[in-house]
Amino acid sequence: MSTKQRPILAAACVAATLSACVPEPADVQGESVERLYNFFFIVAAVVFVLVAGLITWSLVRYRAKPGDELPKQFDRNLKLELTWFAIPLATVVVLFVLSAQVLGEVNAESTNPSVTVGVEGFQWGWRFIYEGSGVVVIGDATERPEIVLPVGQPLTFNLESADVVHSFWVPRFLIKRDMVPGQQNSLSLTISEAGVYRGVCTEFCGLLHSKMNFVLRAVSPSQFEGWLDEQRTIDGNG
Amino acid sequence: MATVDSRERSTAVAPQHDVPRGGVVDWLTTTDHKKIGILYLVSAVGFFVLSGLLSLVIRAELAAPGLQIVGHQEYNELFTMHGTGMVFFFVVPTAIGLGNYFVPLQIGAPDVAYPRLNAFTYWLYIAGGLITFSGFLTAGGAAAVGWTGYAPLSLNTFSPGAGVDLWIVGLLVSGVSGILGAVNFIATIFGMRVPGMTMFRIPIFCWNILVTSGLILFTFPVLSAAFAMLYIDRQIGGFFFDPGAGGDPILWQHLFWFFGHPEVYIMILPFFGVVTEIIPVFSRKPVFGYSGFVFATLLIGGYSLSVWAHHMFTTGAVNNPFFAATSMIIAVPTGVKFFNWIATMWRGRISLQTPMLFSVGFLFMFLIGGITGVFLASPPIDYHVHDTYYVVAHFHYVLFGGSVFAIFAAFYYWIPKISGRLMNEGLGKLHFWLLIIGFNMTFFPMHVLGLNGMNRRISDYSAASGWQPLNILATAGAGILAAAVTVFLINFFVSMKKGEPAGDDPWGGYSLEWATTSPPPPHNFHRIPPVHSERPVFDDRGGRPRAGADGKPGGRRSG
Repeated sequence: MSTKQRPILAAACVAATLSACVPEPADVQGESVERLYNFFFIVAAVVFVLVAGLITWSLVRYRAKPGDELPKQFDRNLKLELTWFAIPLATVVVLFVLSAQVLGEVNAESTNPSVTVGVEGFQWGWRFIYEGSGVVVIGDATERPEIVLPVGQPLTFNLESADVVHSFWVPRFLIKRDMVPGQQNSLSLTISEAGVYRGVCTEFCGLLHSKMNFVLRAVSPSQFEGWLDEQRTIDGNG
Repeated sequence: MATVDSRERSTAVAPQHDVPRGGVVDWLTTTDHKKIGILYLVSAVGFFVLSGLLSLVIRAELAAPGLQIVGHQEYNELFTMHGTGMVFFFVVPTAIGLGNYFVPLQIGAPDVAYPRLNAFTYWLYIAGGLITFSGFLTAGGAAAVGWTGYAPLSLNTFSPGAGVDLWIVGLLVSGVSGILGAVNFIATIFGMRVPGMTMFRIPIFCWNILVTSGLILFTFPVLSAAFAMLYIDRQIGGFFFDPGAGGDPILWQHLFWFFGHPEVYIMILPFFGVVTEIIPVFSRKPVFGYSGFVFATLLIGGYSLSVWAHHMFTTGAVNNPFFAATSMIIAVPTGVKFFNWIATMWRGRISLQTPMLFSVGFLFMFLIGGITGVFLASPPIDYHVHDTYYVVAHFHYVLFGGSVFAIFAAFYYWIPKISGRLMNEGLGKLHFWLLIIGFNMTFFPMHVLGLNGMNRRISDYSAASGWQPLNILATAGAGILAAAVTVFLINFFVSMKKGEPAGDDPWGGYSLEWATTSPPPPHNFHRIPPVHSERPVFDDRGGRPRAGADGKPGGRRSG
């Protein structure tokens, strides 16, 4: 979506439903999700207005008045019923095809990611392992970890859990994936916008689930390299 | 047909029960489906109030960042028991209670097929509820694993307290109760119909109870098996779900949701049935598309068995496109129902008395819940909103906006039949407006919170998140909801004492429960009108509307 369209569409959404839009995506995959969500939203708005409008119309137009006779007792119309079976069916077929397309896009794995990060969730924290560089970032409920990643480069997160089921989510990425003990999951994405993003665990994981957060700083590739070097030095000194 | 011809009942039937004894002993030993129905409804409302109070503490805690009222552990217990209580001990038992009271009446039967089993079913339910909630009395507190009890969190290693064991055993017991209740409903509907009451003349409510019972038979045994496995894992090391010992946490999710998603339909189909009873009566027309409703209900029932893994799109362990397709298709029969409801009102004479008012509230609120459900059926969108407050908003629009609004519609519609007294219309309307305003204030903002990153089941959030204003709105809405329910309870108790006598048929009803007295005699009917259509009581009065055209309750006795 072009940056020109976005504010207009955003304004329309705000007007329609008190800002029931997804947040502005900070990754390439999230842009696909946003487009799909917006399309769903338009269809949903049309369906809502149509159905709610028909209900409201019936209530207003056919309200009983004193002295009314018994209305005509009709109770079937096969053609009509087939029509309103077909309309929702056609609608969900379209929604399904679009969803399947976007699903392919957001699930595509980077064949050759620039950075691969192993992410291990545990009660109640995160261990991030930068593959190939030996840099490890750990944090927990008392001190949340802060990781740094480059903008514009394909990234892969290899997700694992040390104990119970957790889930890896940076809301601004519009994608999450579970971390299941005994199972290897991965998530590939490319960050499109520099910034500081909040990450959370979204699968309830026990006592301090609400404190299992992290911070992700997306920076330029050169800044990222600088940060990696710095971490190596710290690790080396430590 | 399975109906027995010797059960010709144009005249009075000999009472099958002992002379009512009254008092506590009678209530404890009754096998009368009506009394058991009342027991179910009163107990279910009790669990509704209890679980609702838990949610008020949740809302109060979330009104501000930081922990003010409870600790993390208590918070986790609260949302676990709120969900468990509402799902297993309020919504489903309310459907069973209404079915208990009204299915035999609607099909012209003197009782259910197995009255003693029915009593046993009720007492199992009560035992299950008490066992489940008794976790609060143990040293470690109640279960704090979420109502979904995901393994391995629910295993001994991570949740060693007795609360989880009590939770498992209580739900196992209540699950057996549900299975036995379903058997009873199926046998009753197939075998106890009065002559003339063919399957395609039974009220839509009975069809919905029938399909619901079928779903219970398909899914509750799976849940029971899952709970038994979890219990074995916890007590003697079964390794079913422990990944460290070769078990599989994903297996738990499959078993749980194979039950859990049909459960959603178990919690909504009976109430689709309720509003399909009410809307025609208050529109003064027959239900539009009777066979369409039956067909759609069967389709929903069937499809609901194939959609479970849409709860697991983010696990990376299921075929997302398959479950997306089945989950979206299930919106179609639901859409058909909406159009049939509208066509039933179309060119009718609609009177907006409380049962209809709550049914209309149901239509609007469930519409929103249904639409957001289609969003969740799309895996890429679910990748964003899964396990956020968007989902919390969605299922409250379905279960509260849908089921609970329909439950109140059913109460205003049928309590006069049960008690013989009308509920107060003014208080009922106040109840409705408080409920719908409070409901939307509480749950609409949660869509926005979820989209903007507020994850589910968190005891706390940071001030920097920017979520506080909408959370305050939601908490204020919950206060209004509490006021609404209080108004209902006041209305109930006042109307029980001083309500206007209801007469046999206060609404101009169509189905057989309106052909008997309010409350009905122990054997249900002194006279059953002949059944030539799906509206025997309407036919019996010569097609005349029972009440005046302004919809005010009419005379005292029918027939």
